[in-house]
Amino acid sequence: MAKINTAGVDTDRVKERLDQYKTKMKLSLKACAHCTLCAESCFLYMARDKDPKYTPSYKFINSIGILYKKKGMVDKVTLGEIRDNVWERCALCTRCYCPLGINIPEMLALARSICREQGVYPRYDRE
Amino acid sequence: MVKSKRKPVEEIKDSIADYNKILTVGCGGCASVCLAGGQREVNELNAELNTVFRLEKKMKKLGSYTVERQCNMQFLIELDEKIKDYDCVLSMACGAGVQLMAERYPAIPVFPAVNTVSIGVDREIGMYEEKCRACGECVLAYTGGICPVTRCAKGLFNGPCGGTNRGKCEISQDIPCAWLDIYERLKSQNRLDDILKIQQPMQWKNQVQRTTVQEPYEKRYYR
Amino acid sequence: MVNSALFDFIRGPLVWISFVVFLLGLVFQTYRFFSLTKKNPHVIYNPRPRKKISKESIDHFINKTKLSVAGVNPVMIIVTTVFHICLIIAPLFLLAHNLLLDQAIGFSLFSFSEKMTDYLTIVLLICGLYFLYRRLFVPKVRAITDWYDYVILLIATAPFITGFIAYHQLVPDYRLIITLHILAGEIMLMAVPFTKFVHMVFFFVFRFTIESEYSLGKGNRTW
Repeated sequence: MAKINTAGVDTDRVKERLDQYKTKMKLSLKACAHCTLCAESCFLYMARDKDPKYTPSYKFINSIGILYKKKGMVDKVTLGEIRDNVWERCALCTRCYCPLGINIPEMLALARSICREQGVYPRYDRE
Repeated sequence: MVKSKRKPVEEIKDSIADYNKILTVGCGGCASVCLAGGQREVNELNAELNTVFRLEKKMKKLGSYTVERQCNMQFLIELDEKIKDYDCVLSMACGAGVQLMAERYPAIPVFPAVNTVSIGVDREIGMYEEKCRACGECVLAYTGGICPVTRCAKGLFNGPCGGTNRGKCEISQDIPCAWLDIYERLKSQNRLDDILKIQQPMQWKNQVQRTTVQEPYEKRYYR
Repeated sequence: MVNSALFDFIRGPLVWISFVVFLLGLVFQTYRFFSLTKKNPHVIYNPRPRKKISKESIDHFINKTKLSVAGVNPVMIIVTTVFHICLIIAPLFLLAHNLLLDQAIGFSLFSFSEKMTDYLTIVLLICGLYFLYRRLFVPKVRAITDWYDYVILLIATAPFITGFIAYHQLVPDYRLIITLHILAGEIMLMAVPFTKFVHMVFFFVFRFTIESEYSLGKGNRTW
């Protein structure tokens, strides 16, 4: 396995946070049927001409999903991509619909929390 | 977050009665979270208005769009193009959003579709409790975390009035006396001394529009 | 062509093993769900009197349906409903399955005519093709689809494809195809608790017990 440069990221802490909610998050990730019925409930998806990157399932699969897949061994670049996913593309308005009842905002909130702890967050003072 | 509640449809209908092309704009911030003005509520309001207008045999064009927030100009930029096709805007954001929209588009009327109630907390899905009136003089340090402005009918800052009746406010038996709760809370934390300190009464600073500047930015905006 | 011992294993003990895995796995997953959530009793707050059914409330209901997921994605909702109905009733009320069941435990359910179950299978396979089309050609679905989704779709439809081929004896080696059919069914049953097929129970458990904006009925659990 190639060594990835995880400089600047406290991967132990990330793993600790991930382990705290492991059962719930992994269950939600597994239960997601990839049906994309959540898309139209996201106002940002509708306002961005139905760009597939705004589908709620896309957002959580590519944020918390990546964190779990890599088991917390992420570098700053990946965290930056996750930051774009969960802050640029999501307002955490918590209105996403899931026919299976998966709690999507919770997963995105956890991704935000992990990123924030590692010093990755949107800088509202750098407009 | 700010909690609001949608106005009755009749009131909304009356305000937009003279206009034929209405853009209903939702807000993805506080209004969405408290289920009052998000994308879904925008669609539901438009559906209700459609039904009402059809019954009255009026032809109106109802558009819908939801922006991330209406309290920041940068999020209103994307509306500039859309607004050209409409002659009025129905905003489902809080009072702040409605006013910013009106400021951005002074040529067309902007109507509120929700009543902004307060800053509050989420109790259950769809149930929100008022907690803060944004008075600008927070005394929660001395009242054990219970706000006398919001919870005391008289807004007293130094203890209960003589009207406390078996732990309830003299206004109604359903309203617990805030100061009794404050007393109990401080007693359980051994901090009763805090209410012995006399606080100056409420200065009612929130009756005049205030502009808040965070300290690190004072140099930028103050001469 | 199939090894006799393997064939006997697949149509003998493995059938019971797969049912056991299926049932125990579902029980385990349900238990896990209940241990991850907790009861959250509702706060009762000034209950309002129920409104009677009137033209207004019917209009309101129609509007709500149009705006729900069924109105926005009607094709997908109809196809998935039909797919799932056929998925459940076709194998349960199949004559061949009930004969085997009767031989094994002396009890069986009633059966549809073989023509009927044939039609159900074909309808199901057409729905499966629609899902495949969606995965390949609809951009928002393709963005989150990976190889796992295709495999799952195959696992779900394989029993029906092989069953159909076996029943109509389209392949000369009957033993092979019936073995594949049994194996496909067993793989599907065993996959239910451990893959996204678990939505079989989770749909009901999540939507009916957890309270959220979209919960069906009164839920009183929360994560």
